[in-house]
Amino acid sequence: MPNIVLLNSQTHRTLCVQAGASSRYGDNQRFVPVILGEFAHLAVHYPILLTKDQDTGQFFIGAMLGFDEGENLFLDARGMETYRPLNLQRGPFFTAGNDLAIDLDSPRIDEAGKPLFTESGEPTQYLQSIMALFRDLKPGLEVTKTFVQTLSSLKLIEPIDVDLAFDDGSQRTLTGLYTINQAALRALPDAGVIDLFRRDYLQLIYLMIASLKQVPVLARRKNSALLKATAALQGA
Amino acid sequence: MVGPVQNIVIVGGGTAGWLTAGVIAARHQGRIQQGNFSVTLIESPNVPIIGVGEGTWPTLRTTLEKMGVSETDLFRHCDAAFKQGARFARWTTGAEDDGYYHPLMLPQGFTQVNLVPHWLENEQGRSFCDAVTPQGALCDEGLAPKTITTPEYQAVANYAYHLDAGKFAPFIQKHCTAKLGVRHVLADVQTVNLAENGDIKGLTTEQAGEIAGDLFVDCTGFRSLLLGKALGVGFKECKDVLFCDTAMAMQVPYETPESPMASHTISTAHSAGWTWDIGLPTRRGIGYVYSSHHISDEDAEAELRRYIGPQANGLTPRKIPIRSGHRETFWKNNCVAIGLAAGFLEPLESSAIVLVELSAKLISEQMPANREVMDIVAARFNDVNHYRWGRIIDFLKLHYVLTKRPEKFWQDNTDPASVPDRLKNLLHLWKYQPPWFFDEFDRIEEVFPAASYQYVLYGMGFKTEVMPGDNSGTRSTASGYMNENVAMTRKLRTQLPKNRDLVKKIHEYGLQAI
Repeated sequence: MPNIVLLNSQTHRTLCVQAGASSRYGDNQRFVPVILGEFAHLAVHYPILLTKDQDTGQFFIGAMLGFDEGENLFLDARGMETYRPLNLQRGPFFTAGNDLAIDLDSPRIDEAGKPLFTESGEPTQYLQSIMALFRDLKPGLEVTKTFVQTLSSLKLIEPIDVDLAFDDGSQRTLTGLYTINQAALRALPDAGVIDLFRRDYLQLIYLMIASLKQVPVLARRKNSALLKATAALQGA
Repeated sequence: MVGPVQNIVIVGGGTAGWLTAGVIAARHQGRIQQGNFSVTLIESPNVPIIGVGEGTWPTLRTTLEKMGVSETDLFRHCDAAFKQGARFARWTTGAEDDGYYHPLMLPQGFTQVNLVPHWLENEQGRSFCDAVTPQGALCDEGLAPKTITTPEYQAVANYAYHLDAGKFAPFIQKHCTAKLGVRHVLADVQTVNLAENGDIKGLTTEQAGEIAGDLFVDCTGFRSLLLGKALGVGFKECKDVLFCDTAMAMQVPYETPESPMASHTISTAHSAGWTWDIGLPTRRGIGYVYSSHHISDEDAEAELRRYIGPQANGLTPRKIPIRSGHRETFWKNNCVAIGLAAGFLEPLESSAIVLVELSAKLISEQMPANREVMDIVAARFNDVNHYRWGRIIDFLKLHYVLTKRPEKFWQDNTDPASVPDRLKNLLHLWKYQPPWFFDEFDRIEEVFPAASYQYVLYGMGFKTEVMPGDNSGTRSTASGYMNENVAMTRKLRTQLPKNRDLVKKIHEYGLQAI
């Protein structure tokens, strides 16, 4: 159970946080919610897709990092070499209104981690970077929501079925993923296209389309991981 | 082309009128937009609408989707909830635990193998319904037939709706006039003007003058102003088969706003009829349908109150006469009747709205191009509708004939003289072979397919002989489907939310279109 409290330079003066990417700290996520500002960073590594929130049925956009539950194929013992989405970077931090909050039960709270405050109670460089991150993330969530609503109301979203067969003989059928409906995009009236362009949405839409090419790249990563695991088993 | 059919005039602004307008206007939207086809609905500003039918069939999903209605809007504006079928309580013996489901899902593998003889051979203590479909278990637990991530109109388990009929007609009206180009005229029809050949030329209205048309749809309710009154088509009663002639209805509040909401209609047998119990998010609609020859209104009301319990205190029931039967013909000259104007049967299997949908669909798909060919389509329409009304009457009667209840009402119902010959023959045949394909119910858009007969027959303990050795050829296929049913039941029980919880979420977040 998370135990989220407002961050306070008095009570949390000595608190330290493990900032790096690790499966021990929850970076092992197969699908991470992202914001529009990240699209250019993401598209060169990951498929940017839509899925539905299980609790509300509402669409949200995320980066696909793996195929199975808890699988981040870009994560290894050294961390994540590729772009790490803000929602992973933020670690145990949240916002409550304009204030920063922290989950005291997060495994990232660790004496060996980075301190949040200096001895005099000033935010450390690390904490300042977290504050900067939330200055992007918080408004970013809102504009991303508006973007998704626009896609939905223009009927530009369509389901995508991912069927994969790996060299170890296993198969994956991923359901519940959605992407841009390119036929619907091409059929938009001129005024609609100009509107998307003026709102800077058009390039984001094309980044999403281009990022589909990362699905087979991701599959190759998965395939090598599976083969490595099989080889290790046979070696033993 | 002689006498092109371009202007459709619908009279009556209830559920039948607006659904018909919507189905026809959606199907002929292209012609409407080109200006060579029109749908006009004339509604009296003075006649109240009878909100009949709070239960529907899964067909309504397709009907509304084709009309371009948002399912989320339906839930938000019509107090809609999910319906996964009906449970018939106390119909067979009258005992406390006597009951069976008529679910909306077909038995597993229905097109591949008939599971009935396999179940009869080895019931393993399971009801027929539980052996062949997960839906009874889902209803038992008050689960919804889908999740918040399932797109609009798509199902995990087949479903229809319970809805507030009083809100449904205005909801469809708004869609028809705003989105589908249906012309709405508020006026009272004073005279129906006939041509020499007996066709309706036009209508003289009090407020809007003369209204001409090529095809007139009578949705004026029991009065049947056009087909019945103006064209003199008679009414064929069927009270010799279906005895119930009165309904007494109440709208009952839940104990708390969070009380569980059943995702099926609960139909409970009483001494001289049965009660419907339909859960909407805001209230339950409950009514006693009974035969006034077998019970007095006072005793019926007492029975109804006993069924509802303290929640009925302070509520006054609304008494509604039921005249079971239908028009002798449904389409005559250039006039066709839909809804109550065509006929009415006790709402035991929610047949009212589905008949409206099927009729409107047939008319819209077969819209005669001109007056010359109209009679051909009319003959077809009449043939199909006579078949449908006949099959529905048979199917409703089926619920009564298998009873073992001792009361006079129930015993009278088992009198062979009251059972239609066709049903009698089928019951005879079914002693030796269970209904499945090749069993007459093979028309396109059959209201009640063979599966429905299976659920009622074997829910009520009907016995069909299974010839030794007859199952051996399909045994492994059948047990495969029955095992699949066990697995699917287990899976759905963990995946599906509570009926009320999902309806609340739909109000809050809406369902996605895809």
